[in-house]
Amino acid sequence: MKLSRGETIAQYIIVVVLAGMCLSVLYPFLYMLAISLNDGASAAKGGVYLWPKNFTLINYEIVLGNEIIRQSYLITIARTVIGTFGGLIVTLLVAFGLSYRGLPLRSTILGYILLTMLFNGGLVPFYIQLNNLGLVNTFWVYIFPGLFSVWNMFVMLKFIQGIPEALIESAELDGAGPVRTLVQIVIPLSQPMLAALGLFTAVGHWNDWFAGAFFVTRQNLIPVQTFLQQLLAAQDLSAVLGSNTNQEALARSSQMQNITLMSIKMAVVMVSAIPILCVYPFLQKYFVKGVLVGSVKG
Amino acid sequence: MYAKFYKYRWQYLMILPGVLLLLLFSYIPMAGIQVAFRDFQLGTSIWNSSWVGLGNFTFLQDPQFLTVVQNTLYISVLKFIFGFPAPILLALLINEVTRPVFKRFVQSVSYLPHFFSWIVVAYILQSFLTLDGGLVNQIIGKAGGEPVFFLGSTEWFRPMVILSSLWKETGWNTILYLAAITTIDPQLYESAKVEGAGKLAQIRHITIPGILPTISIVLILSIPSLITVGMDQIYPLMNSANQGVADVLDTYIIRNGLQQGYFGMATAVGLLSSLISLILVVSTNQLSRKINGEGLW
Repeated sequence: MKLSRGETIAQYIIVVVLAGMCLSVLYPFLYMLAISLNDGASAAKGGVYLWPKNFTLINYEIVLGNEIIRQSYLITIARTVIGTFGGLIVTLLVAFGLSYRGLPLRSTILGYILLTMLFNGGLVPFYIQLNNLGLVNTFWVYIFPGLFSVWNMFVMLKFIQGIPEALIESAELDGAGPVRTLVQIVIPLSQPMLAALGLFTAVGHWNDWFAGAFFVTRQNLIPVQTFLQQLLAAQDLSAVLGSNTNQEALARSSQMQNITLMSIKMAVVMVSAIPILCVYPFLQKYFVKGVLVGSVKG
Repeated sequence: MYAKFYKYRWQYLMILPGVLLLLLFSYIPMAGIQVAFRDFQLGTSIWNSSWVGLGNFTFLQDPQFLTVVQNTLYISVLKFIFGFPAPILLALLINEVTRPVFKRFVQSVSYLPHFFSWIVVAYILQSFLTLDGGLVNQIIGKAGGEPVFFLGSTEWFRPMVILSSLWKETGWNTILYLAAITTIDPQLYESAKVEGAGKLAQIRHITIPGILPTISIVLILSIPSLITVGMDQIYPLMNSANQGVADVLDTYIIRNGLQQGYFGMATAVGLLSSLISLILVVSTNQLSRKINGEGLW
């Protein structure tokens, strides 16, 4: 295909604009990485753009050596794993159960579920209920309220209804009950869908700071993002340097005067962002599919 | 009758946990809305606290509440004006890329920010805009200007909110449009070329009409969100210096309800905004039936 002169110029302009867009997305991460790998005091003087000027690992040493941060990591990992698998199981079970068109009361149950998408009690009655159930200030406040995702259930339901009925019928003729049908036919066929919904659920858990900020006050239950949220407005280092391990690390390196709040903050952000950056390329093909199935109206 | 239910016993068993979870976390909180009309304190029972009628609705006379409503609408309308066309433009640009490798790269990169929390976005803003050593103020300084405290000023708060939401979500929102573009029949472009239509004419007469149904669905779906400005985005950026323009309905509810314990009043605010968004959703559905021939449900 031969392009006209005007089209060639247009191509160049498009490439430049899109490359600029990519740069605006990627550069902030490189910039934060450079600051986190740089001696804090020298970074504050300026001049760090892409590459650290005074390379040091002290920021990461402090961040990874801090018990509060390590604990927040454990909480985040635990809730992401339990919340994602639990959520997928509950959501898949409901979707599969409701995929039987002959189920008595099916449309009533669907209506009961749909109503919750249209109207809710709001934050305060929700909090009062969490408090009444004794979930406030426990780990389970991260898990139970989000176990059943109505949105994901409808996406899943739509997907299951797209499975050829002949497959399910022949399994039933061979004597398979619903449980066997689910495990041996539906789950293997739904793997891409489960991967996409699992990814969204996992990212949701990993990124959630709200529950940790308002439903929990015990420091040892706070997830990474909530820790970051508290640190965001912090004016001094006491939030991160409170623990003994850090004091030792500081004494060893005796670089206290060179550590700034900003360089520590950037190290914490990088540590929270790197897992997503690592997983992202492998899951990309699934989530595009997930969004598209989810957008098709039921 | 009983036999029919028995036949589906396994299915009911599978549905049960979901139904119970909705009861616990959606329906009981719906019944809890009565807190809006009661004098409720945490630790007592909702049912035993005394009725106060509309006593909790005095916030309607609070001048601060009016500011909060204005802020909410201001930010959500601005976000809509910039945020709605941006992904359409980006999708049209991406679609014109001829090299498949570059195209895939651009798509992957543009989706990426969607996967980071607003907290991380707030840190990115902070790292660029901070007074001591932030890149933007360094550049302003080198150009001979006075440093600007972007995150602590009322003028810069809204532009920062708009910019950061464009940065985070524009790429992600192109997914639907790009998918719609791929369903357009390539023969249309061929015959347009034969008739001598240039690229711009093709975009105007084929691509845009081709994605128009998607545009109208996205438009309709975004109407209900006009009343809610994501707490997620605002709260991390809010501080005492910019609170005058940053305070929105969600932050107002959290501050008065969860933090200061005015449960009745905060529930009343929440009830009012839920009702408005319910009205928006239902009328949106009517609108969609008129335009698309079918509703969202």
